[in-house]
Amino acid sequence: MVDLTREITDVFRSVFEDDDLIVTRETTAADVSGWDSLQHVTLVLSVEARFGIRFSSSEVSSLRSVGELMDIVERRLNRQ
Amino acid sequence: MAGVLEAQALAPAAFSRIANTYLQWCSDALGTSALERAVDAFADFSSAVNLAQGRYELAGHYEHKSYDECRRSVYDDHASMTDYLWGVYLSNFLWAHHLELMIFFEERFLSKVMPGARIVEIAPGHGGWGLWALNATTDTRLTGYDISATSKAIATRLAVAADLSDRADYVRRDALQLSAEPSPQAQVCICCFLVEHLEQPSQLLDTISHVLAPAGYAFFTGALTAAQIDHIYEFRCESELVLLGEQAGLRTLETRSVSPNRRLKNAKFLPRSMALVMQKRTSANW
Repeated sequence: MVDLTREITDVFRSVFEDDDLIVTRETTAADVSGWDSLQHVTLVLSVEARFGIRFSSSEVSSLRSVGELMDIVERRLNRQ
Repeated sequence: MAGVLEAQALAPAAFSRIANTYLQWCSDALGTSALERAVDAFADFSSAVNLAQGRYELAGHYEHKSYDECRRSVYDDHASMTDYLWGVYLSNFLWAHHLELMIFFEERFLSKVMPGARIVEIAPGHGGWGLWALNATTDTRLTGYDISATSKAIATRLAVAADLSDRADYVRRDALQLSAEPSPQAQVCICCFLVEHLEQPSQLLDTISHVLAPAGYAFFTGALTAAQIDHIYEFRCESELVLLGEQAGLRTLETRSVSPNRRLKNAKFLPRSMALVMQKRTSANW
């Protein structure tokens, strides 16, 4: 059973190089220093690699919160 | 937003002038309420480009290898194509490095377009480049050839919005087939950001050369190590485009290679857009 919150938090900490970073479903780009459009791509690709999934282009551009990111990951994992 | 501010800071007067005209044309073509959709399309397009570049960095090569793959995933979807083209249209000035190319187009190419010149535009897409040329010149006429019905529709609407429809005509057809017909002997050819979408780029340069009269001028742009979902041919060096031109009988007069200031962290590739001002030779010898 995947602990999604822990895994996603691990990815965030790695991408943003902050071992103390805590994210919740409500976390948005405004809450994380350095989360700009380019780091967003790095984040998405890191999540893809971690879970073995692939986001569509429209999903990537419409993501607004960590919660939405987690929902997509969960849907993909449930499909596999 | 950071990228847009960067474009504005690069050349404030040019940005304001180009943005005002481009946005007015867009608004007149779509209606004011639809402008928001075009801006959303630009944001989505920019995001898609960044994602494609990220995938390219990981894979080391472009995702698609054939035109058919791209046609199935991109070109056959009318709604996607509409948003894609409006996104590209706005990137002409909202991306700082593409604003540089617009300025280069104005300053280094348009002065070569004489009054009364016949312009052929290959793959006009949204039509912005050719319409900009018409708008800046006198008594010129343009025929644009694009394989996409969506492109023809958008370019035609923009021409009406720009009050240039009496001088611009858009034809839906594969421009590469023009080589099989007598040359229109155009004084000017414009072809922007098509070459990287083709499996055989040399065919495009041959076509550009064919449609031009001897000594005619071409404005040609291409992408180098810059990924998009429908980029197929991976140019790595600026000299590749110059050489393609020479092989087709086109002498490169000036070039401009530009890249975005912001890149993915630890990027191996430098995404570039390159513009060439070329002239068709007048004899077998240069």
